[in-house]
Amino acid sequence: MDPLDAEILERIAGFDPPPPDLDERVLFALALGSLEAEVAHLAEQSMAGSGARSTGERTRTITFDADSRSVMITVVERPDNLVRIDGWLAPGAALRVDLRQPEPAPVRTATADATGRFVIDEVPHGLAQLLVHGDPRVVTPSLVL
Amino acid sequence: MSDVRLGTLLERARDGDRESLQELVRELNPVLWRVARGQGLNAEDAADVVQTSWLELLRRLHEIRTPRAVTGWLITATRREAWQRRHRTRRDGPAGALALDGVADPGPPVDQRLLTDERDRVLWTHFARLSQRCRDLLGIVAQVTRPDYSAIAEAYGMPHGSIGPTRGRCLAKLREMLLADPAWGA
Repeated sequence: MDPLDAEILERIAGFDPPPPDLDERVLFALALGSLEAEVAHLAEQSMAGSGARSTGERTRTITFDADSRSVMITVVERPDNLVRIDGWLAPGAALRVDLRQPEPAPVRTATADATGRFVIDEVPHGLAQLLVHGDPRVVTPSLVL
Repeated sequence: MSDVRLGTLLERARDGDRESLQELVRELNPVLWRVARGQGLNAEDAADVVQTSWLELLRRLHEIRTPRAVTGWLITATRREAWQRRHRTRRDGPAGALALDGVADPGPPVDQRLLTDERDRVLWTHFARLSQRCRDLLGIVAQVTRPDYSAIAEAYGMPHGSIGPTRGRCLAKLREMLLADPAWGA
């Protein structure tokens, strides 16, 4: 390849490069031991509250859809720099829900009530992934809390 | 990296070798990122779509009979997921009215203000004038040293054997515009 073509392609490759943490996020999502699970796709994301009300609660609501089930979570900022996750499975069922974070953080587990509601509290910020133990199991992509 | 090498990495990953999987991810992520961005997604959605494609790949590993086809499989999955994401965002989002514009070309998703190098800025101006197909193609081949043309052809519904010549034409056009522009210099 002549030097001009090489320069052009090199510069084009530098336009809009992937975010530096993309590999890390993908590898974290894939690190789940077994992947015999349905993949839930991010369907919707919205923010509530504002930075102006610094004393108020800032929340983010994220919905993931899989064929068998939807998982909606609201991430609530706590004053101590941790977050609380209020979740809802639809259709509702009393299922176990795991929240994975990068090691060495332990897997956090909650059990939804019959209507599908669950809460996982005192969660540190960072990468996280949810696994719902239904039949089939449902796994979300990694998200940044 | 050759498709045979990628196929070998996939087979090793299938046998549980984490290092092969990591190598595969590092090698193909830039291409998949380009594919998702080429569909007009914002950075957050594009990152999400890329990892969803990988999760789907791992879930369907046993269905993949020709491991060397992994690049094409992932590009296709990423394009499909990106298209669906954009479709959903337009329908549900506050900007839902934009859907009335139909298949509006989202344009190349680069913030020109971020380009501080003068030659980059000049190149960008001309690059943006190329057809969507040229931008997609050059954006992808720029990410890999030895691009797998047949995988790209398949994923983009272009005839096999046309990728090389199309790439050549796109690059020639860009060269011509650059060399005619005094701001590019010699």
